[in-house]
This record gives sequence, C-alpha cells and structure tokens, in this order.
Amino acid sequence: MSQYDVLFQPLKINQLTIRNRVVSTAHAEVYATDGGMTTDRYVKYYEEKAKGGCGLCICGGSSVVSIDSPQSWWSSVNLSTDRIIPHFQNLADAVHKHGGKIMIQITHMGRRSRWDGENWVNLMSPSGIREPVHRATCKTIEEEDIWRVIGDFAKAAVRAKEGGLDGVELSAVHQHMIDQFWSPRVNKRTDKWGGTFENRMRFGMEVLKAVREAVGREFAVGMRITGDEFHPDGLNHEDMKQIAAYYDATGLLDFFGVVGSGCDTHNTLANVIPNMSYPPEPFLHLAAGIKEVVKVPVIHAQNIKDPNQAKRILEAGYVDFVGMTRAHIADPHFIAKVKANQVDQIRQCVGANYCIDRQYMGLDVLCIQNAATSREYTGMPHIIEKTTGTKRKVVVVGGGPGGLEAARVAAERGHAVTLIERADELGGQVTIAARAPQRDQMAGITRWLAMEVERLGVEVRLGTTANADMIKDLKADVVILATGGRPFMEQNPHWGAAEGLSVSSWDVINGTVEPGKSVLIYDTICEFTGMSAADYLSSKGSLVELVTDDIKPGVGIGGTTFPTYYRSLYEKEVIMTSDMLLEKVYREGDKLVAVLENEYTGAQEERVVDQVVIENGTRPNEELYYELKDASRNKGQIDNETLFAGQAQPILSEPGEGMILWRLGDCVSQRNIHAAIYDALRLCKDL
Amino acid sequence: MILDWLLPVLISASLVLALAGAFKRASLWRAGQPESVNLLAGLMAMPRRYLVDLHHVVERDKYMSNTHVATAGGFVLSMLLIILVHLFGLESRWLAWALLASSVLMFTGAVFVFRRRLNPPSRLSKGPWMRLPKSLLMFSASFFILTLPAAGILPEAFGGWVLALILLVGVAWGLSELVFGMTWGGPMKHAFAGALHLAFHRRPERFNGGRSTGLKPVDLQARVLGVEKPTDFKWNQLLGFDACVQCGKCEAVCPAYAAGQPLNPKKLIQDMVIGLAGGTDAKFAGSPYPGIELGHAVGGPSQTITEGLVNSDTLWSCTTCRACVEECPMMIEHVDAIVDMRRFLTMEKGNTPNKGAEVLENLIATDNPNGFDPGGRMNWAADQNLPLMADVKEAEVLFWVSDGAFDMRSQRILRAFVKVLKAAGVDFAVLGDEERDSGDVARRLGDDATFQSLAKRNIAVLNKYRFKRIVTTDPHAFHVLKNEYGDFYPNGKGGDYEVLHHTTFINELVQQGRLQLDAFKGGTVTYHDPCYLGRYNGEYDSPRDLLKALGIELAEMERSGFRSRCCGGGGGAPITDIPGERRIADMRMEDARAVGAELVAVGCQQCTAMLEGVVEPRPVIKDIVELVSEALIERAPAPKAARVAEELMS
Repeated sequence: MSQYDVLFQPLKINQLTIRNRVVSTAHAEVYATDGGMTTDRYVKYYEEKAKGGCGLCICGGSSVVSIDSPQSWWSSVNLSTDRIIPHFQNLADAVHKHGGKIMIQITHMGRRSRWDGENWVNLMSPSGIREPVHRATCKTIEEEDIWRVIGDFAKAAVRAKEGGLDGVELSAVHQHMIDQFWSPRVNKRTDKWGGTFENRMRFGMEVLKAVREAVGREFAVGMRITGDEFHPDGLNHEDMKQIAAYYDATGLLDFFGVVGSGCDTHNTLANVIPNMSYPPEPFLHLAAGIKEVVKVPVIHAQNIKDPNQAKRILEAGYVDFVGMTRAHIADPHFIAKVKANQVDQIRQCVGANYCIDRQYMGLDVLCIQNAATSREYTGMPHIIEKTTGTKRKVVVVGGGPGGLEAARVAAERGHAVTLIERADELGGQVTIAARAPQRDQMAGITRWLAMEVERLGVEVRLGTTANADMIKDLKADVVILATGGRPFMEQNPHWGAAEGLSVSSWDVINGTVEPGKSVLIYDTICEFTGMSAADYLSSKGSLVELVTDDIKPGVGIGGTTFPTYYRSLYEKEVIMTSDMLLEKVYREGDKLVAVLENEYTGAQEERVVDQVVIENGTRPNEELYYELKDASRNKGQIDNETLFAGQAQPILSEPGEGMILWRLGDCVSQRNIHAAIYDALRLCKDL
Repeated sequence: MILDWLLPVLISASLVLALAGAFKRASLWRAGQPESVNLLAGLMAMPRRYLVDLHHVVERDKYMSNTHVATAGGFVLSMLLIILVHLFGLESRWLAWALLASSVLMFTGAVFVFRRRLNPPSRLSKGPWMRLPKSLLMFSASFFILTLPAAGILPEAFGGWVLALILLVGVAWGLSELVFGMTWGGPMKHAFAGALHLAFHRRPERFNGGRSTGLKPVDLQARVLGVEKPTDFKWNQLLGFDACVQCGKCEAVCPAYAAGQPLNPKKLIQDMVIGLAGGTDAKFAGSPYPGIELGHAVGGPSQTITEGLVNSDTLWSCTTCRACVEECPMMIEHVDAIVDMRRFLTMEKGNTPNKGAEVLENLIATDNPNGFDPGGRMNWAADQNLPLMADVKEAEVLFWVSDGAFDMRSQRILRAFVKVLKAAGVDFAVLGDEERDSGDVARRLGDDATFQSLAKRNIAVLNKYRFKRIVTTDPHAFHVLKNEYGDFYPNGKGGDYEVLHHTTFINELVQQGRLQLDAFKGGTVTYHDPCYLGRYNGEYDSPRDLLKALGIELAEMERSGFRSRCCGGGGGAPITDIPGERRIADMRMEDARAVGAELVAVGCQQCTAMLEGVVEPRPVIKDIVELVSEALIERAPAPKAARVAEELMS
C-alpha cells in the first residue's frame, strides 16, 4: 500500500460510505443556467471529479432555497422549485456512475446578496443591518418570513433527496441567514430570535429540525460553520465550539464543515479562500477545535493542496475529511494520480484564485492553469489521448505558459515537439510574476508544465532565439508562436523611456535595475504587475507612490487578492493615488520630475523622485510571426469558428505542403495566463 | 583364444559388480524417509514414462533427442544381444547381425555425443562426462569388431592376440563405464537411477501429459519439520537427485542463476547427491553457484545440509518459477527440494532472512503479508457496491480478490476486473473481510504451519457459501486454491467448484459474446507468462486468445510460454531478497525490449509490481484485464423488450 494510505480509508457519513477522505467542498460554480438548474456543464464538471476519484463532492455553494434569495447574480443552483429535481437526477447519476457521492449546500443568503436585479427583492436579515461587501441593504426579517424560510429549507432538502443527491449541507457560514442569526454582530433582536444564546440559535435549530423531519433519519444532513468570524464583535472560536456542540448534541447532524474566518468585509473575505500569500492550511486549528467538541465527522478545506499535506493532516487526526476544492479545480484527476503513483503529474493549485475572483464578479469559475476545467461539456479534455492520425513535427517558440501548454498537449498527442525559448529557463512572464513578494507560487503553473514537457520527451532548446531561417530549417508541419510581449513603454514618448527617464515594471521586478530610493510607479493596467512592483520595491526599502489614472490601484484584481496586496502595501506605507495621468517625466539635477494630471480637473501636480516605473501592459512580440506568415500554408490564420466550437482546425485535414503557422497568447494581444493556456489547449487537442 | 573365455567372465563380472553397486546405491536412497509408492505399477509404467514422457522433454532439443535415441537405444539393444551372443554363446547369425546393427546404431549416436563434447556449452558438466563419448565409442566399436566372426564376416581369431588385447581393453573400459559404472556413480548412473526415478516418481500425475505442481503438505506432528539432513528427504526424492544427467538445462533457464544470485539448480541437485552419498564438491565439473567457490562444500547423509553443504542463501534465491523442473529431462523436482529445506529453516530454525520473518508474523497476526488492518481489505472497493457472500450466500462466481486489495497498483487491476464482470452481467460476489491471504507466500517461504492455518480458515469460509467457480486475478492464489487446498478439505479432495484465472474466465465471456470489445489502440505488445499461471497451471492460451480478441498481434519474447522467464517475484524472493549482480525483473524487461515492446501485458499483480519496478524509460506494464476494460464498449442496458427480441433472434 502507499504512503497515502490514510487518504484511502473509507468513512461513513450517516448511511453513506465515502470512498476516501478527500472532499470537493461547496463553492459557487456559476454554472447553473436556465434559472439555476444543474445543466450539462454543471453535471460534466462534477462527473469529472467523480471520475478522477474524489470521495465526496458537495456542490452548489450558496444554493438558494427561497425565491427571495436571488440566485441569478452567481448562477447558483435554485432549489426553490421542483423543476430542479430531474436536473439533480442527471447530476447524481453522473457522479454515482463513478463511485462518487454528491451532496448540495443549501441556504438562504439573507442580506448577503444583491437586490438590484432578478425579482428586485427586499433582502432580509435579523436586524436589517447593511452588508458592506455587496453593498446590500435589507429589511428586518419578520416572524412570517422566518417560518416561510424554514419551510423552504425543508422543501429544498426534499428536492435534493428526490433528485437522488446523497445529502444536504446547511450553510451557516459566510454570513448567510443562519449565521446572521447566530452572530451578535448582526443579530440585535430582542424577541425570541435574538439576544440569548438559545434565541440566536433558534432559527438554525428550527431549520435543522424541519429539514431532518422532511428527509428522514437516513439522509445525510450536515452543516458548514465558521471556526471564528475574526470580528471583535462577532463569534469567536469559543463561541463556535459552543454552537457546534449545541447542534451536535441534537444528534440531527451527520457532519460539520468548518471554515476559518467570517467574510462580510473585504478583508475577512480574503481569508475564506486563502490565496498564495497564506501559509498551508492556515485555519486548520479552528476545524480541529470544532472536532474536539463534536461526535460526527468534520470536514475542513482552506489551502490544502497537495497529497502530502492532506496525509499529514489526516494522519494527525485534526479532521476526518480534507476539503481539496481548488486542488480539484486545478486537477479533477487528483485522486486518480495519487493512486496511480503519479503524484508528480498532479497539476497543483497555486492559489492564484483566478477561480474565486471570477466568481465574485459573477463570472463562471475557471482555473488559471487548467483550461479544461468546467469545459468538459465542450470536449476540452483533462486526459489528452494520443492521436490515431498523422504524427507531425511541431515547433513551438516561446516557453511561457501558452507555449508550454501547446508543447505539452502536442506531445501528449504523440507528435514530435521542439520547444524553443530565448531565455535560459522556461516560464516566460510567469517567472517574472513569481519574483514578487507573496507571488512565488505563481511559478508552480509553469513548473508543472515544464515537468510534463520533460516527461513527455519534448526537445527543449533554451537560450535560443528563434528566427525565420531556423524555423524553416526545422521543416516543421506545425509552428506555434507563443513569443509573448514586451513592456509597452513607447505609448507616450514623454514618459522618456527611450531616454532612460523611466523603466518598466519588469525591469524592477526582474532586478535588472536597482530600486530607487523614492519611486513613482505609474500603473495604467491596475492588475497584478503594478501592485507586485510596488510590493517589491517597498519591500526593498523604496518609498513608493503607486499612481493610476484608473479608479483605484489594483482595481482589476479580484476580491480575494487585492486585500492581501493592500495589507502588504499599506503596512509598507505605499501611497496609492488614483485618477492621475502621467503626462511627462523630465530630469532635474540628479532627480526626476513626474508631471501628473488629474483626470477630472486637469490640474497638474509634480513629484520629485529617483525613479519612475511604468506599468502599461505589453505589446506583442510579433516580428517572427510576420516573417513566417507568408511562407505558411494558412498565412498564420486560425479558423475561429472551429476554434470556438472546440473542433480541429480544418487545415489539419486538408492536403498540402509546408508549415501551418499559429500564434497564441500575448504575442497576439495582451490577455492573461488562462487565455494563453486555453488557446493552446483548444488548438492542440485535435492536432 | 583368450577372448572366448575372458569375454563371458568380463561380462558376468561387470553384471555382478553392477548388481552389487545397485544394492549399495539403493541402500543410500533407502536411508531417506518412507513414502508409499506402488512399486509394481511404477515399474510397469516405467518404459512408457521413459520412452514417451521423458522423450517429450528431451525432444525439445532435436539434436540431443536423436543422439540419445541412437546411443541409448543402441546400447540397451546391444547389451541384451551381448548377453545372448557373448555371455550365453547363442550361435545365431541373426542375433550377431542384430548386434552388429545395434552397435553401429550406438556408435553413430556416440559420434554425435562426441561432436557435442568437442565444444560443449557452459551448462554441461565436464569431468567424467567428457570421457563418456569415448567410452561409448569404445564399447560399441569393440563389440562390433568382436561380433564380426559370429556374423560370419570375418574368421575366428582374426587379427591375432594384439587385436585381442586391444579389444579386451576396449571391452573392459566399455563395460566398466556402461555397466557397473551405472551403479557405482559414473555418468551412466543417470540411466539406472533415472529409470527407477521414473518408476517411483513422487508425482506420477506428471506422466501421460498430466500436471502436478502443488507442494506436498508437511505433517506438522513430525519429529522434524522440513528437511535438515539428506536423509530427511523422502527416499524417492534422493533417488530423483541421482537421476541427474548434469545437462544443465536447468542452469540455463534459472533466473536467479542468470541474475548472479548464489543458485544453480544443477549444482544444487549435485550437492544433494554429495549429501546422500557423502563427500565434497571438489570434483564437481560444472558451473558453481555464482559467487561461491567450488571445493568447500562438504556433506553426508546425516549432516545438516545448510551447515557446510549448501549455503542457505542458495535456497532463498529461488523464485519457485519451476523453469528448472519444466526443462529437466529427468523430471527431477528441484522446487520441492528447495521448499523442503526452507521449511526446516523457517519452521525449526526461524531463520527466514530479511523481511521473511516480518512477513510471516504479519500473516499470522493480520492474515495479510504487509500487516494491514484486516478490516481494511475492502477499502479499495468502497465505491464499487460489490455483493458480499455474507449477504447473498450464493453466486455463480466467487471473485477471490487476494491481497492486491491492499495495494494501490493492484487495485487498478481489481477495479478493471469488476468493471468487466459488471459489463458482462456476471452474477458474482466477494468474501470481503472474510477472505484471508491464500497462504502462497507463507508456503513458499517454508512456513507450512501458517499456510495450513490460512488454508483451513479460508476453506471454512468457502464452505459456508454456494458458488460454482472461483475466479481470481492473482495466479498465486489461483494456484493454491486450485492445487493445494484440496489436501486440507475435510474430504481430502477439495471443494466442489472450479478455480479459474481471470484471463480464462474473461476469454470465456468474450467467446460467449458477453463482452463487446473495441480494438486495442497502441504500439507493439508482448505478453509475459506468469509462472504460476503458465508452468504451474498450463494456461498459456487464454491470455493470448484474449489479446488476439483485442486485435493485438503479439511480439512474442524468445522466453515465452512454458519457457517464460520469471519476473523475480515468486516464492517470496522479493521478501528474502538475496543479492545478485542483476535484478531478475531488469533482465525480463530486456527480453521485452528485445522484441520492441511498448507494452507488456501480464496477468499477475506480482509480475506487474516487479516489472513496474524497472526504472523508466521502459515499456508500459498492464494487466490484460486493464486492456480489456479500456477496450470495453459499455452499452446502456437495452430495454427489456429489445433483449427478449435479441434472444429470440439468436
């Protein structure tokens, strides 16, 4: 047996035998279409996890039980209608077919939602206190509403059961209605639904009793709770132990899921899905504390990503199940690879939080590095099959994420692949990104790709600058250019890049220029690079002002990531200035003067600094493309119709001599890692 | 004429001496332990065993088989005629002519023996064996010439006394080698001991195309458990050792020998001969045990074998693959002897090397070799919804899961098999936590007490349920269930069920059209015959038929079928882990690489583990059932009406 034996001890939850100790915990997928139904994409996404061996999937984070808990913002699952039942049957069958189990989280979001859409509801909360993250104002919930919602919970649970799902998880976490009643921070009521411990517990207890009565003793019912809200006026760990023990004592619950931190502020929200700046399993101690006081199994997820970590946690007995949710978004075949002794082949989550940051914007959850995730229904493969057709010679230029993915997929298809990279190491822009403080784990994306490329026998030529003659000499059937971009410094000549008055964010992060004593960073993009440059320079002791013409620095970064940047930047006294354009840089003595102009008033200000750093995105490295374009069979063109449909490029089946030329990633236009990887996957999967 | 009276004297003297030698040799064998053999029936059956069964083995080498037929046939015929013509003086031209013909036949054979000995392969023993062709030539030539007058071709007393003297020397030489040399320990001993060995063989089932590969049980009440001294062997085992012709066919196929581990089956048998007769190995004229110098081994009938005669590492190097037994033209049972001696080391001395003792303790405490929680035996199938015998009581097929249940790699094989069973709609069930280790490893490691205990407890469980067949993916469990459990059934014969290897069973399902298979997509495939499936149980065809059904044209390795080379994983060899110069699994992988295999299909989780232990890059290893399950075309169950229609059509 293997060193990971402890992961593979089945454990029962009520009548269910869960085949291993790894759970994909509830998260909002943003895939439930058609009014919150678990349609094809949803089913295939979970089927892939079950196929990959995941023990238990708890789907549908924040799936609503009532029509006054809006679902459309996040395309969450809607259990307020019987229409869901046949959809659940499809979902349950797909997961059960592969030996997995599937439950769903059910909730009423209370005040944690948006009212300005869908049914234009009055949001409800125990005491009508506004929720800041969603800017959600709400009414004070009335007795009639309370009993209606309790009834809705019971009906929803029955729908889950009738749909063949294996259980329900009541959400009493993330400040949904149940824990809104629990928390004295939000519940200021003086009637029987607030005040004393028992009164604050009453709503949750009535929900639990109603659900249990509706579904019977043998259906799994669990509850997800926080281990500590991390608010001085909220519930602390001791409170949560008391609450957990109180509910456990009823014998009506079959498991607890425990999450560290509340999340009704931007800063606490970032704790809930800890990004790469957090240590491994930062809140395990909270879950372990809950496990001490309850008799039923405890599930804990939060930054548990690799099998060794999972094994260590389980062997020490802190919790009974490890939640590895993002780990499964990055690689739904996680368990299968552990079992097949292919731990090195697991595409490991790096905590970039592209998934959850999209979710908070109401966009479908996607993985920054695995473009097949949630696209199973379109035919995007997690396991790339060898081609039975022509074996081709493929040359990829550029060893960033796009080029690496193209090389990996082409090699998996069985083609002879050569990868040419100008630098002495693989990674491209990811390597730069990973040099910034707290961002080192970004390198995991390209490290995995590089390992796969090596395993698959791709010929990698490092330190080699490709040119047209070299490419032609290689006589490739397919040439894929993923040559990336370079900092776009020349957009405004007055920035003085040509004269050396300003340097790029890359120069700074790469360490090719020394940090100045006082630095002005001008960031038009407002994503990671500008923030990372500020973080990097301030960590080297520079006095930094981060200026943008946009509405706030880092505005393009999602909800779980900008807070961790802010924590670091504020602590290092970085000044963040919005709404200012950089007009001009000029030298005065041994200092530089940066001329800023207010976007809205036109008023100009000057800053005297030692260094001006520009983050203005990239321009494509497209010279090689234009040199090769005319000589190629397809003139460099990609057929969008088949590309978007996830089908093979027609040129592959057309007879003809010479090379096919494609380009992808930032050498076409500046997008992101996911875009480059997705293009590489969909272009090469049918190669 | 001096020859007229001396020749009969010489012949009769040699016959008398031979008889005396025979008695002396027999007394050495009789020092062994009693074993009841039907002597008369054995003797009656002997000629057929010699001429048919043994010839079958020898015939694999056409050159040697023809040579042996001519030489041995010529000699036996000549000897009979010599007795009639030259001892009893029957004056018949016919007889004389017949003798001339037989001696020509023998001479011709002897010429080929001589040629073989000009540049003999290393597996052949040298020493006295180099003299044998000359003795054969001398014998046949001398008697040919001596018989010419009797045939009326030459006058009496031709050639004068010089020739007479020369012929006399030739006759004396020939008779001493071929007649009394036979019983006094010369190379020709093989003929005499061999004939009796075949007559009194411990496994008469092996003759007439039969198979007998199960180990014999130990009487746990016996004074000594296993074999300590040569005289602890059964008398007919000792006789068997004496039958060895030192042809070294065993040496040539022994995987441990090839890997440079200190085992050479031929040398081992010769050491047993030294043991039974007393002496040293100084005159052994073959290859030594790798790494052990000749001349230091000393033994006698009542001396402990592992104290001076055979190093215990030699015994622990064996993988029990039976390649030696399969090749042995004298049908000697090397593996029986090795396990007998291991039994003493394990059960009397507690000297099972390396991980051996730990594994046996685990088996005793947890019923599985690696000491896993016995309650976790079904963890692998937590998501498979397998029917348990305890629940259903009755099923067509009992799926014997085996200890692969505890191993992550083997679990893939098990799951693949479950998928196939389900796809074919087989009515099956498993024993779950009621199953125990089959006892194979305990038995090969010499711990027959633990084996018997496991076997009896497994049998008690099997007896609780009704099923027609046991099917297992583990050839080791397959072997013991099929061939070794019978001795422990209350009825002494075995259970009322058939035991099948999964490849046999799946092949049957395919033949019956119960599985729909897509064609295999992939490169060159070779098949590695597991020893316990092939040589132990003769199943060479089903795996190949199945692979063919997948559209695979096998690239057969040179060592395949009954000549398959062991993966190194049998007999507890990976547990006792005796060092050599190479790893057996690496050599086996070389065999696979030599035929350009990209995938090695196997039918045994032990083989899978051993071959996958070879460092990459190397061919992919897959159990046949994994290939089948990958190629499975799963149909949604047809509506009932359609099924009825289908049945009516067929």
